[in-house]
Amino acid sequence: MRIALLLAAIFAIAAQARAASYYVIVAGLGGEPDYVQRFTADANELDRTFKASGELAHVFTLTGQNATAAQFRATMITVASQAKPDDDFTLVLIGHGSYDGTEYKFNLAGPDLTAAEIATMCDRIAARHQLIVDTTSASGGAVPALERPGRAVIAATKSGTEKNATVFARYWVEALQDSSSDTDKSDSISAMEAFIYAAKKTAEFYDSQKRLATEHAVFNDSGAGSPVREAGNGQGMLMSSFTLLRLGSSQEAANNSAKRPLLEKKEQLEQKIDMLKYQKAAMDPADYKKQLTAALVDLAKVQEALDQ
Amino acid sequence: MKRATAISVFLLICAASAYAAVPGDCWKLRKDGHSSQAQACFEEMTQSRDAYFRAEGFWGLQDWEHANEQFRLATQPADSKPLYKVRWGRLLYERFNSADAADLFREALAKDPSNAGAYLGLAMVFADSFDGKAAEYCSKANALDPKLAEAHELMAQLELENGDRDAAGAESDKAIALEGDALDAMAIHAAIELISDRSPDAWFARIQAVNPGYGQAYALVAHELELNYRYEDAVTYYRKAIAADPSLWSAHSALGIDLMRLGKEDEPRKELELSYNNGYRNAATVNSLRLLDSYKNFETVRDETTNLKLDKSEAGVLLPYLQPELHTIVATYEKKYRMTLPGPVQIEVYPNHEDFAVRTMGMPGLGALGVTFGEVVAMDSPSARKPGDFNWGSMLWHEMSHVFILTATNHRVPRWFTEGLAVHEEGERSPEWKNRATPEVLAAIRDKKLLPVANLDRGFVYPTYPSQVIVSYFQAGSICDFIKEKWGDDKLLDMVHSYAQLKTTPEVIQQDIGLAPAEFDKEYLAWIDAKYGAEVAHFDEWRQKLKALVLASGQKQYDTVRARGPALAAMYPQYVGEANVYEMMADADRAAGDAKAEAAALTTYEHEGGQDPDLLKRLAALDEAGGEKAKAAATLERINYIYPVKDEDLHRRLGDLLYALKDYDGSVREYKALVASQPVDKAGAEFALAQAYFAAGKKDKAEDSVLAALEIAPGFRPAQKLLLQLQQPDASTN
Repeated sequence: MRIALLLAAIFAIAAQARAASYYVIVAGLGGEPDYVQRFTADANELDRTFKASGELAHVFTLTGQNATAAQFRATMITVASQAKPDDDFTLVLIGHGSYDGTEYKFNLAGPDLTAAEIATMCDRIAARHQLIVDTTSASGGAVPALERPGRAVIAATKSGTEKNATVFARYWVEALQDSSSDTDKSDSISAMEAFIYAAKKTAEFYDSQKRLATEHAVFNDSGAGSPVREAGNGQGMLMSSFTLLRLGSSQEAANNSAKRPLLEKKEQLEQKIDMLKYQKAAMDPADYKKQLTAALVDLAKVQEALDQ
Repeated sequence: MKRATAISVFLLICAASAYAAVPGDCWKLRKDGHSSQAQACFEEMTQSRDAYFRAEGFWGLQDWEHANEQFRLATQPADSKPLYKVRWGRLLYERFNSADAADLFREALAKDPSNAGAYLGLAMVFADSFDGKAAEYCSKANALDPKLAEAHELMAQLELENGDRDAAGAESDKAIALEGDALDAMAIHAAIELISDRSPDAWFARIQAVNPGYGQAYALVAHELELNYRYEDAVTYYRKAIAADPSLWSAHSALGIDLMRLGKEDEPRKELELSYNNGYRNAATVNSLRLLDSYKNFETVRDETTNLKLDKSEAGVLLPYLQPELHTIVATYEKKYRMTLPGPVQIEVYPNHEDFAVRTMGMPGLGALGVTFGEVVAMDSPSARKPGDFNWGSMLWHEMSHVFILTATNHRVPRWFTEGLAVHEEGERSPEWKNRATPEVLAAIRDKKLLPVANLDRGFVYPTYPSQVIVSYFQAGSICDFIKEKWGDDKLLDMVHSYAQLKTTPEVIQQDIGLAPAEFDKEYLAWIDAKYGAEVAHFDEWRQKLKALVLASGQKQYDTVRARGPALAAMYPQYVGEANVYEMMADADRAAGDAKAEAAALTTYEHEGGQDPDLLKRLAALDEAGGEKAKAAATLERINYIYPVKDEDLHRRLGDLLYALKDYDGSVREYKALVASQPVDKAGAEFALAQAYFAAGKKDKAEDSVLAALEIAPGFRPAQKLLLQLQQPDASTN
């Protein structure tokens, strides 16, 4: 599984070398001034972060009075007219949501939008890989309507009944600004890395405040079934390979044919290391350490050569 | 522990009964040790046509449910006697339902406002939580019915727990004069003798002459010994209680809990399970058993002087801080008190506050954060509280002071002195941890509520106003500060030795300080006035002005805050609690773009003992940005004493700062804490640790850590470079 994921990630990186990323960020109705300020700030931070990631990032951000259903629809039509199947599409919803037991609504200035309406707008976008991050209260209620094969859906709450204002958005923004969320040190932050970071920080927030947690982030990236809190059983593969933000020049080497033999060697070593880790429990610890050290040293040397 | 109730004697005026025996007769038979006759008497009573009699009968047969049912029936008629409610309340009190018991006592008083038994019941309920109202209700019971021996017995107990042995003895005598078999009064006398290090034998002989199987007397003595920190002696008397009456399940439970306090595990479980399985399932028993079950989640780290019992989930983070601090404390106190502890001290740190609360159940005083049982200290982990709520470092110095003072005095020390010395020691360790005059304290000084030194224990055990325990801690600590300032440290040590020789507080003050207690009080109050007189005089004005400043700050009137803040802070510099001036000034300075002034305000906050980790981190960031790395590191080090858990950012930042300052051992400590914090970026944490080890010249450990980093993230380039560097035969930081 791990090897498959790794290979999938490598191929995804290669495939995405020339692809663009479309980001739509919407800060919904805040109501109270504190919320207005917080939602707008989070949206603007994301806007800045995504725009700084390179020329291939196309960022559309709606805040304040611009965050209406009409503007939302118009923006999505624009993206649908530009995005190609190989491109990535990310939609981030920040604000309040509501759930009446059957239908989720994203609160906007003026009429709200239902999850089903949002899903329909996303369906019109050609990008095969899509990510919807709904950070609102009651967002768990939106997942069934939003999920679809090829689309990862993240919700700040596990169900529509978690209706208190959430803090997940704050840590989602932080995940994209804190390089420590790049846990595999690949110079990019995947949707899964960002999710793990934000979910952990959210839990720590409630724990440190000695408050009962009123939000439990979940995701679904298989397009079917209930959302989950951890990867496994077919969930998490798309999010692990979905590059949300590039931090460095991770795609440069992939484009250089002169370095292809080294890349193949690197790939072999990475597979070997993955296999060793898989067999770790059954190995003598000293032997494991010896073999792991040797493989890591070889990999480091190959990387050194690639970097030259 | 529940005060004995079922076997208490009460005389019923029940002339209308068709039965020869009345409940009081049955209870007296039991109290006097005539068990089989008592049993027969209670059985006969269950056959009564009177629901109340049946209730007493079932109660005597320990058939609690039927007794409860019959009391319900007995009290249903609108004209039922208040006595029935009182007795029903006593049953519920005995069966661990104090809340409903208190309601029944109040209902009885609604029917009969001069019901002494109802007041006595309320006094018992309040006494269990060491509430000052207990004495008030007990006095009312005594005033309404001076012949109620049981009320005198309870008053004797309250007086003893308040440290007034003479008054306790006098109240006991009154009970004995009223009833020749006032066994609890005799037990109080025995306790007084033991606490005074005299033989209690004569009193136990009198008890045995009435009822050799009256184990409750020994249990009562054991309880009083516990309250005087004499946990080992308490174990002895709980054992005697069980020997006298093997079915005294309350004593089995109390013995189990006391043994837990002494750091034992197997025997406590046995005793608590025995108690539980025989129907004695009060909160202390149930919670203690749960706590014992949770010990599987703990690990104990032992060395020559300390046993640290830590929850496995946070041991990795806490151990590197707690253990060295404990060693420093032990070394400091050994030198200061010129003694060594007889064995390792055990520190138990609970991340779940409820677990810690179980350890303090049934103990008077604040008991909020830490508690010492001889050579065992139980305390909250920082993770049990909100960040900034408490400082584990000062707590440890406080509790360890108790360990030394209890040992030095063989547990013969009044509460005020050991608490006062412990508070004083916190301030000796760090001026930022010193005894601070909180608003409650200033109000108490203003209202002249400080107690005479001879009676200061009363402020700890049965407080008469809500903040009296806090005020008493301050007063006790400041008395020790005062003694040190005026007469020197040695006087405090002399006092320790005098208490060890069983001197009373008036004797100690007279002998060691050379003043009559009243004269000492006068000088102390003058010292307090000189120290806090200005704050007290302007306290109300300060409060009004603070409210106005909070309003201005909330409305973002930052110019007003900057203009008025400094003068307001000067009126009461020690105030660093909620809505403190320093934070408002820092916010205003930030809004004005004046980073220097913002840092200055936060620095004052820090030096006055402010403990909000977010504010301290903000200060560290300002200092770091201003190029003051050492000051920033020192500020973050302070947070390690407040909330070192669940904060990977703290350890990463401090590790980076110490690394930059070339304090590689310090940075290794911080990065180890970072790794132990289970950070999101595990590879990054391991790599940082590897770098620190490498810089500290520990190549092998550096390699282990860099391999750990690369095992998680094989493509982590900086780690790859370090690994290659480490593979060089002459690898060095240079």
